[in-house]
Amino acid sequence: MKEIKMLSAHNISKNYHTDGTIVPVLKDISIDISEGEFVSIVGRSGSGKTTLLNVLSTLVRPDSGELRYQDENLALFPEKRLNRLRQSDFAVIFQFHHLLPYLSVLENTLLPFMNSFKPVSKQREQEARACLERVGLADKADRLPGNLSGGEQQRVAIARALVKSSRVLFADEPTGSLDKETGRQIMDLLLELHREGLTVVMVTHEPSYASLAERTIGIEDGVVVQ
Amino acid sequence: MNLFTIPLRNIRRRPSKTLLLLLVFSLGVMSIVALYQVSLVVGYSLEKKLTTFGANIVISPATEKLSVSYGGFHLGDMVFDVQDLPEAKTSQAIRSIELQDRISAVAPKLVSMTKIGETSIALVGVRWPEERGIKSYWAANGTFPEKPDEILVGSEAASKLGMQVGDVLNIYGKDFSVSGILFETGSDDDSVILMELGMLQTLIDRPDATSFIEVAALCAGCPIEDIVAQISTKLPNTAVKALQNVINQRMTSVRFVQKLALSISLVILITAAAMVGLSMLSAVNERKKDIGILRSLGFGKSQVFLIFCLEAGLIGALSGVIGYVAGFGASFKALEFLEMAEGASPVFSVGHLFLASAAFALITVISAVYPAWKGASVEPTTALVAL
Repeated sequence: MKEIKMLSAHNISKNYHTDGTIVPVLKDISIDISEGEFVSIVGRSGSGKTTLLNVLSTLVRPDSGELRYQDENLALFPEKRLNRLRQSDFAVIFQFHHLLPYLSVLENTLLPFMNSFKPVSKQREQEARACLERVGLADKADRLPGNLSGGEQQRVAIARALVKSSRVLFADEPTGSLDKETGRQIMDLLLELHREGLTVVMVTHEPSYASLAERTIGIEDGVVVQ
Repeated sequence: MNLFTIPLRNIRRRPSKTLLLLLVFSLGVMSIVALYQVSLVVGYSLEKKLTTFGANIVISPATEKLSVSYGGFHLGDMVFDVQDLPEAKTSQAIRSIELQDRISAVAPKLVSMTKIGETSIALVGVRWPEERGIKSYWAANGTFPEKPDEILVGSEAASKLGMQVGDVLNIYGKDFSVSGILFETGSDDDSVILMELGMLQTLIDRPDATSFIEVAALCAGCPIEDIVAQISTKLPNTAVKALQNVINQRMTSVRFVQKLALSISLVILITAAAMVGLSMLSAVNERKKDIGILRSLGFGKSQVFLIFCLEAGLIGALSGVIGYVAGFGASFKALEFLEMAEGASPVFSVGHLFLASAAFALITVISAVYPAWKGASVEPTTALVAL
């Protein structure tokens, strides 16, 4: 019986158009990611690793190829279903934290649930506070992101992924803007979440962090090399 | 915490920018509200002044008319069964209609024919204060009658009778002093003798009688037909006629003022709306990062669109409230400056305040539709590239 993969990319290609020139970024890439796996994507700057992560997290549509999530073709998903997927199953954390600067830490954590006029429930709020406590930010729930350090901001983004019980966490250079000690703390947190069953796909150019993953995928000039 | 929290917090993030936008739009709303209030008051005041240049409704007894011809010759029209209008009852009925606040003046008249020497002449009894109230254009050589035994003679009648100011004229056995001779008006007033109505009623023994009543009504805000219909209902056995040419001339002046105010308001409104639109367009470009974050968290295009529209709507609603209150205050100053503050004044209405707030919220939302749509159309990837 064929094993159903959590996420499968088959023959993915993506080109960018710059000044009338077509720049191929991903060339016929195929990868599979199993449920609960920790995969790191490594490569030099401009190798296409971030674009691959964006394609896998549905933020970028590939020009060709097929992307399947739990054996369902994501290309066939209507916009609303893709939004629901990003709201619940997928979580993305970026190098530069990506918090809304005018919302408090708690509000940023609850942002995925603030997409309607229905107020966020008290239960959700308690869950968010619990997630913030887990990442060590319970006492900073009412602060604005501007009053937090880079590492703390990254932890808010992780708490946001936790509160929506995401199944796959996509992390784009999560330690890229942090000092070594803070970077290490973030990595410990990701490893802890992975041990609890979360699927993690991380882009990094740090070989030491990449080696903490169960599997490493190397990208060079838009092609998988290892 | 819900979708509304996002635009609300963003507005608070940049207080100086929000305040500036609020100030600009509030100024726009203030100008529009002030112009509207001033145009209403000026229109009302103008119309009130125009009522002193003549009546626009005439009430006369219902009559039966018969065209008489015999042997192929037309012998003219015969009016029969002519009854007087009781002055007190009719005036009271006119003043008691639903639109009584639109009645500016009620001027009763009694007409009687007499002979002065060999000359037939019409005597017209009037109530001087009311008559002069609707005929402010009258000017006379001498003075207007102040006593019951004084009369005013039309220019043509005076020339026909060879009368001078100060002459004494015997009418129905009573002596009257000519207090003034009316300058030529080009109307029927030139060929008649005018005296106090009560005196004429006594002289011809028709107490409380009037031949017809002229009414000066204010037409702005309600059609003259409504006033005529209401008077007709109160006075069933009368003929109530609106003098359409007079009304049209007056309303042209009043409407000109209102149209001018409306045109200026439109220009201000379009300018303010364009400013909101431009500001939202620049906000969309500045906030591509926010859009990217929201889209990566599963916010749909409609939700991003709504966030920008809500933001604009909030500014519009707040500007509506501030602008309405400020505009209301400014209208008093403007009327004072225009020296039209007397007689009528702007009326504050809480209902209008809410209506203005809702209307301006809607206008800003409409102005923000294109920028909001543009923002909502940004793909997550494009927004992320902007980071």
